[in-house]
Amino acid sequence: MRMDPGWVRRAGVVCRRYASAPLLAVAGLGLSGCASPLPGAATVQGQRIAHLWAVFFLSAAGVAGAVYGLILWCIVRYRRRSDGLPPQYRDNIPVEIMYTAVPVGIVAFLFALTYGTEIHVDRVAPRPDVTINVTAFKWSWLFDYPGTGITVAGTPDYPPIAMVPVGRTVRIVLTSTDVVHAFYIPSFLYKRDATPGLVQRFDLEIRRPGEYLGECVEFCGFDHTRMRFWLRAVPPAQFDRWIEQGPRVVHQRVRYTAP
Amino acid sequence: MTAVVAPAAAEPRRPARRAGVLDWLVTTDHKHIGILYMATTLGFFLVAGAIALVMRAQLAQPGLHIVERQAYNQLFTLHGTAMIFLVIAPFALGLANYLLPLHIGAADLAFPRMNALTYWLLLAGGLTIFSGLLLSTGAAAAGWTMYAPLSDFENTPGPGVDLWIMGVLMISASSIMTAINFLTTVMLFRAPGMTMMRLPVFVWNIIVTSLIILMAFPPLAVAMAELFIDRRLGGHFFDASHGGSAILYQHVFWFFGHPEVYVMILPYFGVVTQVVSTFSRRPVFGYLGMVLASFAIAGLSMGVWAHHMFTTGAVNNPFFSIMSFLIAVPTGIKYFNWIGTMWQGALVFPTAMLFAIGFMLNFLLGGVTGVMVASPPLDYHVEDTYFLVTHFHYTLAGGSMFALLAALYFWFPKITGRLLSERLGMLSFWLTFVGYNITFIPLFLVGLLGMPRRVVTYLPLPGWPELNLTSTAGAGVLALGIALTMWNLVVSWSRGAPAGDDPWGGGTLEWATSSPPPERNFHALPPIRSDRPAFDMRMPQGTPGGQARARAG
Repeated sequence: MRMDPGWVRRAGVVCRRYASAPLLAVAGLGLSGCASPLPGAATVQGQRIAHLWAVFFLSAAGVAGAVYGLILWCIVRYRRRSDGLPPQYRDNIPVEIMYTAVPVGIVAFLFALTYGTEIHVDRVAPRPDVTINVTAFKWSWLFDYPGTGITVAGTPDYPPIAMVPVGRTVRIVLTSTDVVHAFYIPSFLYKRDATPGLVQRFDLEIRRPGEYLGECVEFCGFDHTRMRFWLRAVPPAQFDRWIEQGPRVVHQRVRYTAP
Repeated sequence: MTAVVAPAAAEPRRPARRAGVLDWLVTTDHKHIGILYMATTLGFFLVAGAIALVMRAQLAQPGLHIVERQAYNQLFTLHGTAMIFLVIAPFALGLANYLLPLHIGAADLAFPRMNALTYWLLLAGGLTIFSGLLLSTGAAAAGWTMYAPLSDFENTPGPGVDLWIMGVLMISASSIMTAINFLTTVMLFRAPGMTMMRLPVFVWNIIVTSLIILMAFPPLAVAMAELFIDRRLGGHFFDASHGGSAILYQHVFWFFGHPEVYVMILPYFGVVTQVVSTFSRRPVFGYLGMVLASFAIAGLSMGVWAHHMFTTGAVNNPFFSIMSFLIAVPTGIKYFNWIGTMWQGALVFPTAMLFAIGFMLNFLLGGVTGVMVASPPLDYHVEDTYFLVTHFHYTLAGGSMFALLAALYFWFPKITGRLLSERLGMLSFWLTFVGYNITFIPLFLVGLLGMPRRVVTYLPLPGWPELNLTSTAGAGVLALGIALTMWNLVVSWSRGAPAGDDPWGGGTLEWATSSPPPERNFHALPPIRSDRPAFDMRMPQGTPGGQARARAG
């Protein structure tokens, strides 16, 4: 019935001693929730990547928080206080097995999630709604809509603006005519290399209308920086009207360059 | 070997004579060559660091203010090339050059003249690469990865790339010879009593590093030879229009390139292990596990190269993903070894220990983001953005560079007989640590927003200019921290306080000889009964390396 004051004091000491590690872990997790500035994923595929990102971010924050906690604990608690020789033990097999097995479990879990996400992101539909042949060259892009006679061409000074429909499966067929480039749209959380001699196929299903910046992210020489493009995602009906205007080569007249 | 353990009286000390320029030019002494290596790599470090500052200044705000496009392309190519081929890896090899014979109680490396050749090849290779700046067409400007076909004759006709190829070939020959030298020395020249399981962890990591070099650098030489044949001798290895393959270059290059990452980190893991053990007054915790982890890293490192190629769509992503995840496990083990070494220790915090702890804190972010980029769907977003750049800077700059600075503060007294100023050192640490993180944390964020690497400028999208400006400001603080350490080195070289033989209470054999060590390293060796013979020597009351109290904790 009566509380043992000694017990209370000891419990207080233990709590104070061990409070810092979980507190740090919790703080790390809390920070991670709000400090993850991923652009809002504008495609169905990108949404899956964003979900995977959230799991990885929390796992990384948890692991890092725990390890930071242990390191800081050692720094604070085991600062030299006397000239006595500290204990000289040099192994602890159960602990060593644990700190090998637990990380294996963590990476197995992360790999399972990765695999599940990747098969969805990499899946190409048997019959896409729209196909666009994209050709990368030094230092711009060519968007060709097969069967329509429409081509959108760009230059470094006048990046191309390619039309895409919202809510339909858009197949990108990607290649390069000279060096390795990469087709990257940050808002889609997605890129694929454009390699000469290789043809790459992937699908995008855009969720909402908008103008999305695209960049070349594989260094390709002199004007790599300005090798940009824009995807203008519009409702399907508007896209169909744009297609129906007939065969033509579209050049941009809007200058998008760094100021 | 008998000469090594001969008593001091048998070999009178020579009168101290200052080594002249000619002595440095013709030396085959591993300590002199080690000093030449470290001085040269620090010189390249300052150049590559200055280049980084110019790049950060250019990126402080959108627009072209400081340098033009092609100049910028040369700058980041030289920055990466120098830091990787001429600083981080060869500094570690130079440090091992100095320390390895001392650590195992040997008088020199197995092949002293070949050792001298490796240094001169390294210097010649570095100067060859930088000599491209003298050309009207400029130095190589295709990135340190020198991807074909961008680096072929059609796309980059200037001879800067040829100079780059020749320089890298010289450096790879130098590294291969050094690896052979280290392995032979450890196998044949250990002092009596120095069994393999008593080797300092640094030596084990040099063994593993040497094995990785022997596996990874010949493929690099192949890639360079093929690239040169394509450029100058009408070959088509990487030319898709003639049946070659651009992907082939990436395979051969990264088959070197990823193991090279471990060449640049494993020796520094060894440095941190020894610094932490010394300043915790504890033996290395989980020694055997740590050695096995190094071998696991070496084995796995040969099977992860194509994680640099997830976005090509031309490799088996899940295989390279799981291999890359797995390599995080032995790396994580090392963290627990360090924590176990500090656990219940008696920690003190001189500058060397501060940099070692800075290494642990920074490298951890490189590690956990490494697991992120090992996941192909996440890599689809962050590959070739500043997120990736920041990830590997946290491993190589926040990691290896911090351990390099720890090594300088730790072994400078042994090399020169003089202490570095601790006051300057502490100030340098805090400026470097704080400056480093102010520089790179914003780059994680701007990378997630989609800023590509290797761009001379960027669009003023929301957040981008602010994050880049913060980063540039941090780079200034970081540079000040590094400058303080360099100033410290210069001043303390001639005017530092005398260090004595063992200023730190070190455990490994180099602390059992004079500072600087005599010409053949040891006048007498203490008995070697553990991995801490110098510690045992000071603790004669029956605690050899802690063996007698193995279960005391």
